[in-house]
Amino acid sequence: MMPRLRRTIASLFVALLALGGAFAQDSSESVSYVQARGFNVPVLEGWSDQTTEAVAQFHLAEAEATIRTALVAGADPLAAAQSDLADWLGKAVGPSVYSDKVNLADGTWHTLIFDIDTTTTASVMARQDDAHVIVISFVERAPEARTVLLTLAQADDRLDDAAPEIGRALQQIADVELGSLDDKGIIELPSGEWQVYERGGLSAMGMIFGNDSYVALQEGAPGGLAALADAYNRTLLGFFITPDNSLYLALGLIATFGILGLLILSYVWRGRAAQQDLVLLNALSDEDD
Amino acid sequence: MVQELESRSMPRLLRALTILTALGFAGTLYLGLFAAGTDIQQGEVQRLFYIHMPSFFGAFTAFGLTVVGGIMALARGSEKWDKIALAGVEVGLAFALINLLTGAIWARPIWNTWWTWDPRLTSAAVMCLTYAAYLMLRAGIDDTARRRSFMSVYGIFAFVTVLITLFIIRIVPETIHPVIVGASPQNAQGSFEATSGVIIALVPSLLLWLTIMPITLMWHRYRLEDRLESLNRLKLKALSD
Repeated sequence: MMPRLRRTIASLFVALLALGGAFAQDSSESVSYVQARGFNVPVLEGWSDQTTEAVAQFHLAEAEATIRTALVAGADPLAAAQSDLADWLGKAVGPSVYSDKVNLADGTWHTLIFDIDTTTTASVMARQDDAHVIVISFVERAPEARTVLLTLAQADDRLDDAAPEIGRALQQIADVELGSLDDKGIIELPSGEWQVYERGGLSAMGMIFGNDSYVALQEGAPGGLAALADAYNRTLLGFFITPDNSLYLALGLIATFGILGLLILSYVWRGRAAQQDLVLLNALSDEDD
Repeated sequence: MVQELESRSMPRLLRALTILTALGFAGTLYLGLFAAGTDIQQGEVQRLFYIHMPSFFGAFTAFGLTVVGGIMALARGSEKWDKIALAGVEVGLAFALINLLTGAIWARPIWNTWWTWDPRLTSAAVMCLTYAAYLMLRAGIDDTARRRSFMSVYGIFAFVTVLITLFIIRIVPETIHPVIVGASPQNAQGSFEATSGVIIALVPSLLLWLTIMPITLMWHRYRLEDRLESLNRLKLKALSD
């Protein structure tokens, strides 16, 4: 092989390797996900991963808390959430102690809270998706605490303050006025900025995202509410379903093969037409002779 | 006369390149469709990227060779280089259309629209129209020498549209078109991470579309043009006899 050609090929490979290096540098800041039955949930670091093919599940032993995401067959989000909890926990689940609806970017979610027994509390978000219901549950089984996490639509979305919704949640869930708690200021968590209130054995915190407030309440105060609220919010906001768009891939392949096929066929057609013209010219030439 | 055209059998190198192109195309399709993982955010449609981006660079090579052909045709007044320039435009336009169509098909599920007048998309469309106009103009000029000079100059200046398409997302920040190498613009939608799986499928495809594929197709087109030109000469000769 000629030295110049060898140098050119070598330069091309070096350039492509450099391109690969540039790509690899881009992928350094990534969020890891677990996949279960076509949906994806961010991996919660520090939590034990109990994900199976059907459900994504993370457990934090020291708080006796579990965050579980499942796709349940059904047309009624409330019934689907109840049956999923009952099947999972192996206990009867009574009516919810709190129920509301909230419109988020991906649809209408049902916010539900169940006091399952004296030690177990479940906070659930459920949304209908075609023939299935997406159920994202937070279950806390610490005997000394009652932790609930819920999403509320902002009463006034011009406010950049979660306090009104924290107050509303405190009133409805714990029958306590927000004014009776101390304002502990704002803390930064991976999911965002949270406003914190505390007094005695009661903690409350809230974060604004879009036009909604994400609120976390804890009675009994064993601590660790911030970590629980942050993990649940990262699951709620990071959860997504991989779209099924294979038909568009097929369409793209048809377009590629179609254009390349037309180009090659046009070469063949034009070549054949030239050959036919040549045969005709030859015949005419023979006639003249 | 028949012998004059039939004697030009396919050179061994072209035959080898044709087989290599076919095998390479099948191989890179396999890598893109089966070896690379599914993008969990975009779904299966993201696999079109393994054709979309390389096809643009294939067009870049072909249009680049049109510039080389144009310069050499002007410098040497040679028909050979003019035929190379023409082959570059035909192959480059086919590749640019593949790039445009796969982009539009990808955009439908990801951007929720087939088309938007984004700077990158607009410049790509202008590039396609510029080269389509090359073919139309060329067909309208009968005088060989005049056609060679005019189309050589056109082919050289048309390359500006290719460069604009390539660099516009680095210059104009108001674009939603994602960038794969380096940080995407602030408004970019549909970005994805270039993981090792993406690179394994992309690099061979890029190498194929950038080098072997346009050269093989252009060589075939050059030979066809050579045949057509010989036929025209024979027709003229037959008429004059």
